[in-house]
Amino acid sequence: MSRKNERLVNLTIALLATKRYLTKNEIFRNVEGYEGSAEAKERMFERDKDDLRKLGIQIEVGGLDPLFDDEAGYRIRPESYSLSLRDLTATQVTLLSLAAQAWQDAAFTDLSQQALRKFNSVGLENDLSQLPVLAPRLNGADENLRSALEALTSLTTIEFEYLNVQGQSQPRQLQVYGVQARQSHWYLIGLDTAKSAIRNFRLDRIQGDVGTIGKAQSYSIPSDFEIAELEPIIETPLAVLKVRPGAGYQLRRLATKTETADDWDLLEVPIFDLEFLKSLVLWHGDDVIVDSPTQLRSEVIKSLESLVNLHG
Amino acid sequence: MAKVENGLVRTARLLDLVPYLTTHQGIAISELAKTFGTTIKEITDDLNTLWMCGLPGYTPLELIDLEFESGFVSIRNAETLATPRALDRAEALSIYMGLDLLSAELSSSTSNLVSQIEDLQEQLRAQLISAPQVQIEASLASDLRAIILRAIRRRGWLEITYHSAANDQVTLRKIAPYELSQTGAHEYLLGYCQSAKANRNFRADRIVSVIEITDQHWPTSETADSGETLKVEVKVHAATRQVLEAFPQLTGDAKTTTIAGFSQSWISREILSLGGQVESTSPTAIRASIKDRAISALNNYH
Repeated sequence: MSRKNERLVNLTIALLATKRYLTKNEIFRNVEGYEGSAEAKERMFERDKDDLRKLGIQIEVGGLDPLFDDEAGYRIRPESYSLSLRDLTATQVTLLSLAAQAWQDAAFTDLSQQALRKFNSVGLENDLSQLPVLAPRLNGADENLRSALEALTSLTTIEFEYLNVQGQSQPRQLQVYGVQARQSHWYLIGLDTAKSAIRNFRLDRIQGDVGTIGKAQSYSIPSDFEIAELEPIIETPLAVLKVRPGAGYQLRRLATKTETADDWDLLEVPIFDLEFLKSLVLWHGDDVIVDSPTQLRSEVIKSLESLVNLHG
Repeated sequence: MAKVENGLVRTARLLDLVPYLTTHQGIAISELAKTFGTTIKEITDDLNTLWMCGLPGYTPLELIDLEFESGFVSIRNAETLATPRALDRAEALSIYMGLDLLSAELSSSTSNLVSQIEDLQEQLRAQLISAPQVQIEASLASDLRAIILRAIRRRGWLEITYHSAANDQVTLRKIAPYELSQTGAHEYLLGYCQSAKANRNFRADRIVSVIEITDQHWPTSETADSGETLKVEVKVHAATRQVLEAFPQLTGDAKTTTIAGFSQSWISREILSLGGQVESTSPTAIRASIKDRAISALNNYH
């Protein structure tokens, strides 16, 4: 194995150092480690190219000279090989380090550490004194988060079983366009291929493992897709709630408008999820009254009546 | 990116060692092993391999020149590999997301940093084949987290302003924090609460503010008793997603379960919030409390 690693490193060095395309024969003659029959070398080289590409190294093929009926040549451009973040400052290296550390014990720990070592190889010292005390932390050790993010970077469609509102599992197929961490939950957002519509899925509602279907790069993310613009498109209806002064802290945090009065405060709360809001209103007992919409109002009344019947 | 197999992990490390060593001349082998998350033996093997690599010709003029017999590593003649490698797509995404959280946690007072973060994110986005959308919300502001972590390290006390779900009130509490941890979807601060005289879990996203108290020592020995818990029997009438998420312990076709909590008020509210999809069957005090709360709420509508 160490011989092979040695050969891969030598091949990378040779392809990086060359100013022109190297032909296969030049590579076999000059790069250490290519041995055996012509056929064996050929196979070795094909595998090596695949391996370097798997490491994210781009090997450029070219140099076909029409006059000489030449064979193809290979090289690695230093600008594609190297970290391309331009003119990094010490503060930026520190920000990048903090970003990498955010994944501590979470889904992308190893990858972010790998990236961190690259930043630290730039030769700039971290400059924490320039920054306020920060310790960002991404929560999410879920193996499915990692699978979904890997699918997102490789643009591979995923499939999974998802728990619907009725409490039943249903198979879903999704082309992931983005991820969101909102109110302590991870959401996957993308194209639900069966429904041909943009949907979001809460990660912890996925039952079992996320799998992949088909090949990598089987879709592309529409360039006009913006999560931030997603919510206003679907116009959010508002609920008007009467809340006792001093109560309803959670509702007040969600409210877009609050009017205070003597006996009841008036809150306008956007309804992102009717089921969630209904349950939050019920949770507050007699501290909250639904003014509108009528649907929410009547569902709350119905639930309260059923609670009284059950516990009578 | 698919998982890279073992041999390739090694190749990647060999390539990444060169730029790291170039900017960290004289680093101890043990520290190098720690940085690369591997053993001293593996790193020594790596150095022995690199020592055989170089430009075609492979004479001492072309080979990478490494010295590490002393236990400290220096490198020369490795210019070709001396710049750090580009991030691969998954690495770029991991950093992109970390930056997104960082900018969410930073207040607007540090807008200069926020714009630097945006600049970095824009450059990273260019490295992802198709730009994914990422939006990360902070569960705890970074400055609060920093204060809490410092108090845990120093074994200090905190005064936290906390929204208590049980009685829907914002209260001040003095706590000795032990740890921040993730349980299910939420992050919790575990600590000894002085007013409850017991250990309590506080939901991180309900901590409004934090002040460090320096002149008080941590509770000694077993003052931290877990307190009395209340056990309530629950019967499920509709196994909806909401119910399954409220009671993760419900499996298969089970129709009953037990929930435990410190406060009658909290348990009653939890059952109220499920609006008749579950019923508490015992104790009778809880049944009565739920019924009273429901009737009183209904009276608001009459």
